[in-house]
Amino acid sequence: MLEVAGTIEPSSIELLKDVAVENNRGLVAIGAGLAVGLAGIGSGIAEKDIGAAAVGAFAEREELFGKGLIMTVIPETIVIFGLVVAILLLFL
Amino acid sequence: MFFNRRGSKKYAYITARVRGMKSKLIQREVFPKMMNMDLAEITRFIGESEYKQDVDELAQKYSGIDLVEHALNQNLARTYRKLLRISQDEPNYLITEYLRHWDIWNIKTILRGKYYGAPPEEVQEAVVAAGQLGYRQLISIAGMESIDDIKVAFENTPYHSAISDYQGGMLSTVENNLDKLYYSRLLSSVGKSKGEMLSLKFIRTEIDLKNLKTLFRTKNADLPRDEIMELLIPGGAELKDGDLRRLVSLSWQDFIKSMEDYSYWSALSEVISEDMPSLMGMEAELDKYAMKYSSEVSHYYPLSILPIFDYIIRKNNEINNLRTIARGKESALSDDIIKKHLVM
Repeated sequence: MLEVAGTIEPSSIELLKDVAVENNRGLVAIGAGLAVGLAGIGSGIAEKDIGAAAVGAFAEREELFGKGLIMTVIPETIVIFGLVVAILLLFL
Repeated sequence: MFFNRRGSKKYAYITARVRGMKSKLIQREVFPKMMNMDLAEITRFIGESEYKQDVDELAQKYSGIDLVEHALNQNLARTYRKLLRISQDEPNYLITEYLRHWDIWNIKTILRGKYYGAPPEEVQEAVVAAGQLGYRQLISIAGMESIDDIKVAFENTPYHSAISDYQGGMLSTVENNLDKLYYSRLLSSVGKSKGEMLSLKFIRTEIDLKNLKTLFRTKNADLPRDEIMELLIPGGAELKDGDLRRLVSLSWQDFIKSMEDYSYWSALSEVISEDMPSLMGMEAELDKYAMKYSSEVSHYYPLSILPIFDYIIRKNNEINNLRTIARGKESALSDDIIKKHLVM
């Protein structure tokens, strides 16, 4: 039952190897995409409320604009982590 | 998860903005300084602060204490309308319900004016359009001659059921109906999630404080038991129906003693006694307690309606304090008496 119909040509093995390598590259690309994408969605959710609060605060007190801006971009660091992971995946 | 029957819960913007507005309120250290000013200086002082627009607008029409009074009322109405303008969905819904307090206040003012035969102009000047009823609507209702016309004017509002039975005469029943209507609407407007439970407790505490004031006044005046029970609003946090029934049936001495069983004792312990000369101190202490409590709970759930309720209470208190100082100065009251009336 374990007998395989016919023998596999050496060229076919090479081809299969190439396909496997290409598949891996594809998975790496998906992984890198997920790393940036999910980190972006996460920080977007975090920034949503901070940004709304910052706009609310400086609608009343204009001098809070600088502070509000800094607070709003703090979750942005998470995207940078995602980006770093994506670069590591793609180039190392 | 993100939506309920009243729309989404967008609290981040409104609470941050309200905190910004709260930071512009007059600081408590300023009130003692204002005691040293005369009426003209007080008018100039508030004319240079957040009340500038209102003082400027009304300066041509009024002067002296009338100018201060009208500027304060107009500013209060403008501030509360701003809260409604800048909020949406659930916060807007809850603020609308909470500010119906001013509709109730205006209806009471109009009915009282009619009852005591005050000229329509005086009633029109006393209304504060901070609720759902607009200024023009209130002015036209205040100008009506008969009680029946007033009832017809309120036909399409939620308040009609509370005043529909009124045939003239004593107002206590209709005022009581209005208060009960307001609080039952408010209690049913708040949901049951964790953050909202605290809002519910906040409203229930407010009912308690109102009931306590009523209890002190009526027990002090020695009103019959049934009459007092009618005046109390059900739904309090600590003073449940059973407690209210028990407190009403106690004698004045026992009533004062039994106050020790409730958490409000911490606020009342120094101002109440069996032979207290006046109830003024008690009312001021309960108002202070309400402010302290609202400030505390607003920090528990920063992204909820509580910081907004806190601001509404503080703004109203600021207006009351300014009015007290201005009126006190105009009547040449001593600083000590004015200070006793201030809630800081």
